[in-house]
Amino acid sequence: MSSSSSSSLPPCPKKMITLKSSDGETFQIEETAALQSKTLENMIDENCASTPIPLRSINGKILAKVVEFCNKHAEVGVDAESLHAWDAEFVNVEYTTLFDYILAANFLEIPTLLDLASGVVGDMIKGKTPDEIRKMFNINDAFSPEEEEEVRRANQWAFE
Amino acid sequence: MLARFLITSSLSFLFLLLKSRPVKIFSLWTCACVSLFLGHHPPPSPARPPRVSLKEKMSPASEAGNAEESQEGVPSLLDLPELALECILEKLPPDGLLSMSGVCTALRDRCRSDYFWDKHMKQKWDRVIGPSAYKVWQLCLASRRDNGDSNQGKQKGFLRLFSLVWPCSWAGERINIGQDQTCSLPHDSSVMSWYIALETGTFWFPAQVYNRENGHAGFMLSCYDAELSYDFRTDTFRARYPPHGRRAIALETGVTWERLRSPPVDTSPHDLHLSDCLNDLCPGDHVEIQWRRNKEFPYGWWYGIVGHLESCDRNETYCRCPSSDSAVLEFNQYSAGSRWSRTIIDRRNHREEGNEVDGFYGGIRKLRTDDEISAWRQLWPTELLE
Repeated sequence: MSSSSSSSLPPCPKKMITLKSSDGETFQIEETAALQSKTLENMIDENCASTPIPLRSINGKILAKVVEFCNKHAEVGVDAESLHAWDAEFVNVEYTTLFDYILAANFLEIPTLLDLASGVVGDMIKGKTPDEIRKMFNINDAFSPEEEEEVRRANQWAFE
Repeated sequence: MLARFLITSSLSFLFLLLKSRPVKIFSLWTCACVSLFLGHHPPPSPARPPRVSLKEKMSPASEAGNAEESQEGVPSLLDLPELALECILEKLPPDGLLSMSGVCTALRDRCRSDYFWDKHMKQKWDRVIGPSAYKVWQLCLASRRDNGDSNQGKQKGFLRLFSLVWPCSWAGERINIGQDQTCSLPHDSSVMSWYIALETGTFWFPAQVYNRENGHAGFMLSCYDAELSYDFRTDTFRARYPPHGRRAIALETGVTWERLRSPPVDTSPHDLHLSDCLNDLCPGDHVEIQWRRNKEFPYGWWYGIVGHLESCDRNETYCRCPSSDSAVLEFNQYSAGSRWSRTIIDRRNHREEGNEVDGFYGGIRKLRTDDEISAWRQLWPTELLE
């Protein structure tokens, strides 16, 4: 294909940037992969990415996964179907991990990851009752006493 | 007049339901204005929460009430930043949004936002709900508001309870948020309550039905005004056709989606439509014409094609039909010998024409989109009619 033109050019060195997690772990990521994050893109544009970038809200375990996600999605020549399968496997995790993915994707502004992880949480909600949702997502603030009273009174009437 | 009829008949239907299955009702008589306009109206502009800054992104969506962590180590969904929570809610189907609105005050307020419901409203109802249906809905809201204002007595509290609480076991398979679970409904003018009123079939809306009464031969390739109510159990509609003279209201169940349309013109079935296409009609054009059996009956719209005059030899070069004062309309669903198979109209002085035997032909619409034409062609009968 274009081998003649590419072979005449010297190989371009991969530009790497370094990310530092809240617990002090560092991760190398190619700049092209990092560009999926709007937050990182802005820092690269402003030449703030030459030293390790501290990400104080993301721990090493989650940051490793986020870097893995960005690398996979920056790979060239992956067909949509296998990427879809890879994504499904990637988010096949517990709610607490999904929660951390969402926080990280939100902070780093990675729309593909935010979409993927929030879609899975959405799927978890489908078909559940409010009570089940409260339990599953640890939501403790239900309705105010006045609202509870209204619900109770209405139910009382309804079943008379 | 029609609206008045719709309201009174809808009210009586509601109370019939109330009497028989009180648990399974919620109020559609909510107040104020729905900010949803469809079709010919400007689109709604529900306030999408503004994008937040980097700093704000890390602040939780709700500060309230999560102090007492019941499950150690499990984060509360409400601790997600606003934008992330919104991203999840955007992906929920209507029943998911309803369930979430029953979880807590913070989620109830978010999940009722028109921003989330507009998409569902458009996706499911845009094709059959037109401005006339919206107008009736507004009248319902207004009449509910008037009743509430003038009647401070028992009825108000009675109806208010309905509007406050949705007994969710009612809606069965589709909008079911669980046994004995309740989620309160807005008694304002949200798109959510508009959607639910349609989805649950408590709201009867005006629309038009092709081939009324299960394709009754007498109505083949016609489209009549009716009031429709959705039945989510069967994903079909119930139709009530206004009375034809002394003939009682006709009821039909199991009307499928493809037999419905929102009225394409704002002409009452009792009024003559002003034809604005008479000089445009050329052989081969697809049209709809109003027709009624007699002057007491409402009009229906009937599908036809503009044909050639008897005197024309159908040769394209010599055809003078488009410039003639008369135009022939052909109804090819009828056999050639049938008295219903054609009629001639006067382009210059067209008004209601007919007699007690053949019925009366009224205003004409030229069909200008492939969608409208193909909707008719799909209903073509398997055999010619007499």
